Amino acid sequence: MSKPKISSDWMCGCAGCHMSLLDMDERILQVAELADIRATPITDLKEPDEGGVDVGVLEGGINNTANEEVAHRMRKRCKILVSLGDCAVFGGVPAMRNFLPLEESLRRAYVEAESNDSECKIPSDPELATMTKVRAIHEVVPVDVFVPGCPPDPDVIFYVLSELAQGRKPELTGDLLHWH
Amino acid sequence: MVNVTIDGKSIQIAEGTTVLRAAEQAGVNIPVLCDHPHLVPFGGCRLCVVDVEGMRTLQPACSLPVSNNMVVHTNTEKVLAARKFVLTLIFSDRNHFCPYCQVSGGDCELQNAALDLGMTHWEYQPNWKPYPVDASHPYLVLDHNRCILCRRCVRACSELVGNSTLGVEERGASSMLVCDVGVPFGESSCISCGTCSQVCPTGAIIDRRSAYQGLDKKVTRTASICVGCSVGCGIEVLTRDNRLVRILGRWDAPVNEGIVCKQGRFLPLDEERARIATPLVKKDGKQVAASWDEALQVAAAGLTPLVGKNGSGVAAVTSDRLTVESLAAFKKLFKDGFHSDMVTTLGDGEGVAVAADVAAELGAFSGSLESLASADCVVVMGVDLTAEEQVVGFMVKRILQSKTALVVIDSEENGLAPFSHVMIKMAAGAEKATLEAVQKALKDGSAADEEVKHAAALISKATHPVFVYGKRLNSAALKTAVELAKSVNGSLVGSLTGANSLAAAQLGLGKTFKLNGHQAVFVALGDDTPSQQFVQSVEKAPFLVVQASHVSRLTAVADVVLPVEMWAETSGHYLNLEGRLQESVAALKPAGEVISSLEALKALAAKVGLSADADWQAEITAKTSPVQLTLA
Repeated sequence: MSKPKISSDWMCGCAGCHMSLLDMDERILQVAELADIRATPITDLKEPDEGGVDVGVLEGGINNTANEEVAHRMRKRCKILVSLGDCAVFGGVPAMRNFLPLEESLRRAYVEAESNDSECKIPSDPELATMTKVRAIHEVVPVDVFVPGCPPDPDVIFYVLSELAQGRKPELTGDLLHWH
Repeated sequence: MVNVTIDGKSIQIAEGTTVLRAAEQAGVNIPVLCDHPHLVPFGGCRLCVVDVEGMRTLQPACSLPVSNNMVVHTNTEKVLAARKFVLTLIFSDRNHFCPYCQVSGGDCELQNAALDLGMTHWEYQPNWKPYPVDASHPYLVLDHNRCILCRRCVRACSELVGNSTLGVEERGASSMLVCDVGVPFGESSCISCGTCSQVCPTGAIIDRRSAYQGLDKKVTRTASICVGCSVGCGIEVLTRDNRLVRILGRWDAPVNEGIVCKQGRFLPLDEERARIATPLVKKDGKQVAASWDEALQVAAAGLTPLVGKNGSGVAAVTSDRLTVESLAAFKKLFKDGFHSDMVTTLGDGEGVAVAADVAAELGAFSGSLESLASADCVVVMGVDLTAEEQVVGFMVKRILQSKTALVVIDSEENGLAPFSHVMIKMAAGAEKATLEAVQKALKDGSAADEEVKHAAALISKATHPVFVYGKRLNSAALKTAVELAKSVNGSLVGSLTGANSLAAAQLGLGKTFKLNGHQAVFVALGDDTPSQQFVQSVEKAPFLVVQASHVSRLTAVADVVLPVEMWAETSGHYLNLEGRLQESVAALKPAGEVISSLEALKALAAKVGLSADADWQAEITAKTSPVQLTLA
């Protein structure tokens, strides 16, 4: 039997969950032994195999049309979709902006922020993705496994990946379950 | 007693007990959010739902009384699904994003409840409606975004503290926590006792000083007592890296059962005075750092020649916030060693000396705070319980809702007056006459004054009147008050000012301070702040030794300054206004060359060739106390 394929991608997050993934240190070799690590933001291959993967892992919430595409693509190409981290599971810190009108948060970030100069303006290039409310992944596509945490502990990520790689559905309870 | 079976465990329990309390007895854990063991059940959050055989729907365990042969299941799939749904709805209501909340990571009861139920995510996202954050209060921040409307704060504010500042306006999804009639928290009638922040299950009410200073699991907890006044509330001192983080009221403390006032909870965290880290001696008119040995040498050189010189020797004054151990050592050294005729406390033992006088004549007359729980009429005499012994004030105010009558008799403005049914205000010095008039009105119903007549009517109607007396009653007035209370089978409770005023009075340290012809003054200040008047009265003394924890106007003019511990660094005993002997436990380690007041007194005694070893237990029980002492 061939090794299960795992692919990951990130969206509206801070990359911290992937950092935490790397934080499992040498155990990543165990994951690589159990599974075929395919496209991830930290490997050369950038898009999950068109032919499909067994496990798709997404970090970050969905805050624009580009993220929507990433989420739909991963959902289409994977059998089991994992929401990794508080942003993916809940919307996380970026979801703070949902409490404000979008214009207001853009103005604050691009015009009013203390680090900006007088030239700064809100980007309006037509090629930019259209912004939306920040959403948890399961608001856009169905999710099979939720791994909350900001970021989830490396031990938790290792547990989740090794269970999935061995064909089991991880159950997060007790010490393995934490939000931040 | 009734039989109840909870998750297969059968127990016998008193009728009227709620299913939740019965489950606790049976060792079955039921999660709660709105329930609090010290508050009346509310049944608002529904997290505690259980399945009761024979009942059509799930029932809230917190507010359902047990009945005989009731069979309860707390762990069925139906129950767990309902609890998850309850939490799902709560999370969908406002902003409960954990990453940017001060209580996330162990201190949030909402988050903990979700984790206990194994919730990995929320089914429904919130409606993204922003709610205001009220940061107008000097000690507390009220973040409506985190509020789950459990009303613990509202109930604590009225049921425990009797202040009723917090309430809820509107209904259903529009419900909002509100201060008074909708004013900012900082402009409301809040008295900053902080009980609301102590009971809040989420990050909706957090206290400014300790917010983001470390989660519960990162702090060290020390069970101790507050030494702010004579109530002696049980507190928990939370520290981290030898730094004071937060003070909480101890729910298991018999005196206060969880509540404390602003003075106990917040003011100690506002400490801004500079600490004294090394002994100081005056050289050429300037204070310079010295070793302990050198400082004690200088102190001894100035004091030793004065041993036995009555009237022209050394006058010794102590703070009444020191431990009994220190007070007894102080007395031993100066009264028995130096034979000084002026060995007293700051504030002249105000109030307690009077009570001690009356006790010498009438025996113990004062009682415990427990009596207030069953009082149906409270008479407050000569003390403003909104300014001093505030927790006693809370205990009075909270029973007013149960139709307890309140009579205030005072010569000064009194914060309880607006809550009183009768306020008798008289000129200072007329307290005895007023109390006599009340007593006369009680006997024959006659009084020249309408208020006096009304007060007497309220007292005579009561089955258990409680009389609270304070420092503005002189001996004659207090004696009258005691007789008045006795004549109606009432109880007395005394407001005794300092944390250890009673112990000081028992040691006979209650004289009015006058410098007279004394050639030196020794002040055991501890962490007290001396009044300007006191500083003026002693600065002319030819030789001044001060042992203190903080820099003050008094230490600035001293010839020798000995650095000692502040309250949170000291361990020792205190006698509260009920005569209850309690222990203060050090929560912090002093820095520099700071030692305890007791050690400093003993070191000084050794230097002057005298003793400061005293049997404090024997000393404080040597004479009749105004209140029965409980030393065990």
